[in-house]
Amino acid sequence: MISKWLPDFITRHVLFALIIGSIVGMGFVLFLIEFDHFTSSEEFCTTCHSMEIVAEPYRQSVHYNPSSGVRASCGDCHVSEGVLSATWDHFLGTKDLIKQLFGPNYDDPVVNALHLPEAAFAARQWFKNKDSATCKRCHVKEAINGDRANTLKIHQDDAKNKTCIECHYNLVHRKVPDEKVFKRDKWNQMIEKEFSLKAGDAEAILNK
Amino acid sequence: MTPNRRSLTYSVALFFLLSVPLVQAEKVTLETSNWGLEGGKACVSCHEKSSAGLTMQWQNSAHAKNKVNCLDCHQAKKEEEDAIEHEGAIISVIVSPKDCGRCHGKEFEQQQGSKHSQAMSSITARMPHLAKQMGDNSTLLLSCAKCHGSKVEVNGDGTINPLTWPNNGIGRINPDGSLGSCSACHGRHQFSKQQARQPEACTHCHHGTDSPDKDIYANSKHGMMYQGFKSKMNLDSDNWVAGQDYYAAPTCVTCHMGAAGKIKSSHDVGMRDSWNLNRPISKKQSLVILDNGNKIEVADDEAPSRRGESIELADGTTAKVKAIASSKRRRQVMSNVCQECHSKMFAKSHFNNMDAQIELYNDKYGLPAQQIMAQLYEDKLLTPMPFDETIEVTFWELWHNEGTRFRHAAAMGDKSAAWWEGIFSLGTNFYGKFLPQLKQLAGKEKAEQLITEHVKENDNHLWFNNLNKESKLLGVEKGNDEYDF
Repeated sequence: MISKWLPDFITRHVLFALIIGSIVGMGFVLFLIEFDHFTSSEEFCTTCHSMEIVAEPYRQSVHYNPSSGVRASCGDCHVSEGVLSATWDHFLGTKDLIKQLFGPNYDDPVVNALHLPEAAFAARQWFKNKDSATCKRCHVKEAINGDRANTLKIHQDDAKNKTCIECHYNLVHRKVPDEKVFKRDKWNQMIEKEFSLKAGDAEAILNK
Repeated sequence: MTPNRRSLTYSVALFFLLSVPLVQAEKVTLETSNWGLEGGKACVSCHEKSSAGLTMQWQNSAHAKNKVNCLDCHQAKKEEEDAIEHEGAIISVIVSPKDCGRCHGKEFEQQQGSKHSQAMSSITARMPHLAKQMGDNSTLLLSCAKCHGSKVEVNGDGTINPLTWPNNGIGRINPDGSLGSCSACHGRHQFSKQQARQPEACTHCHHGTDSPDKDIYANSKHGMMYQGFKSKMNLDSDNWVAGQDYYAAPTCVTCHMGAAGKIKSSHDVGMRDSWNLNRPISKKQSLVILDNGNKIEVADDEAPSRRGESIELADGTTAKVKAIASSKRRRQVMSNVCQECHSKMFAKSHFNNMDAQIELYNDKYGLPAQQIMAQLYEDKLLTPMPFDETIEVTFWELWHNEGTRFRHAAAMGDKSAAWWEGIFSLGTNFYGKFLPQLKQLAGKEKAEQLITEHVKENDNHLWFNNLNKESKLLGVEKGNDEYDF
């Protein structure tokens, strides 16, 4: 019966294989969707203590506590949309996992704070390369009315050729200066003062 | 003409040439081609929407007219401590005198090292006690530092310590090391000549207890004439030489920094002050200009006598004396300004009376009170900590409040501030509070000894010895909290 409607090479076995393959394939895609979803959550990210440290300021930010209640989770900003891109981002993210396991002890608040600027620069670059795609999941430039007189017009005229991250950085996590004006010695001094360390300790920790 | 006579003629000509008064604001030192930076032209489009008022101020300024844009003043090098990235440009929010000095070099040079520029650095030792005992650090930013300036601190993350900024105090210590803030007098972003020439440019700080010049000037004949003829002051004129471009009245600027006759204008505003009127004891003071560019005020009798002399500074370093302006020379310059309107004798009489009243303050109240206080500290009747004992507050009020008001009133002619709020208040404080408190603190015997030494033997207090009976003023015993005038 089958051969009547289908080409000859679709034998019964092939047909079974296709059906099972499709089911497995769909299952795999569904798995990826669920996997990406789960691994994008604050709950998953903060299973590493190092991420708990960076999550603290996030929990004080407007992206965590907007009046509308629309809360952006870690992945909403840091993982691309779409199952393929999301999976790829998570694949690249394993680099961070390897560094977490075998690199410096990021769980130590001092080490974490000392390495934060480079992480911030990399994240900003990532946003820029993606044309701030994850921001645009929620924010539509043409609809940014703001509370003040000309917010909409500024976004339409003056920010026309700009991408969100170029102006809007230091919104969520601990403030880090732009890479162009960043001064490592001043940053180290600030961390040393914050954690009551001796002058030069920060440098030693970074070189360890 | 013999060669000798010719050279003499040239010398005389040169002398007059150099003496030509400053008829215009100093020329800016930067070539026109160096301003109007390309990168600064786009700022306005956004800022006229995001901060319209500020942008309109700039649009109506001489800066805008001459195509000086936002980046010309706000540009920064990435190494600068307060440099930030802003819309692709590297800028600093704080425009320091050094930044203004890129174009206004002459003004920068005069302003650096001036008394104004040291308004913060000179009181840092005194400020913490007042601030911590009577307020806190944020009170300090909103009070003392509003005029004196703050020491701006940039955090390691590029943010500015909010306890140090915003601030426009005239002695602000900037992240780039320069001292002061041009916007203390020249309100940003208009930087209007007209605004800076009016008394309000000065009196927004020089008013109230410690510097009551606003009222004193307003109540003086000068202030009366200014109010009456404000519209005739030619305030927005490019040239503003007293006796040439205006005549109706002098403002603070006229006497303390403005051009008048052959006297050039200067942004070293304390330059013409022959007295220091804001310390426990007033001294006639010389301005000593050092080879390292700094200027220091030294009492005439302690001033170095000649140029080239090496002197030791407060921080332990030494510097060579480049020039000395004695109080006499400074008075002469001030007097020359007076003479644009007054006769030489008129000015001389005023200054004689003023000097006599300042000396009266010194001899009658300032010095005896200061010497008694010194003895109380020496005898450990007072703790070294300031402002924890009543008499310390009373002494502070004596010289810092009433004493300052009296001396300023004597200098600028406000009769009520000279008498009721001045010497009368000094008297009621000294006889009615300071001496009774001394008796309470030191006990009858010790107090009597100090009073005899510093008061009764002082000619200014002779009336005190001629009383028929012991004065009730001093009738308070140790341990008795009650005293009345």
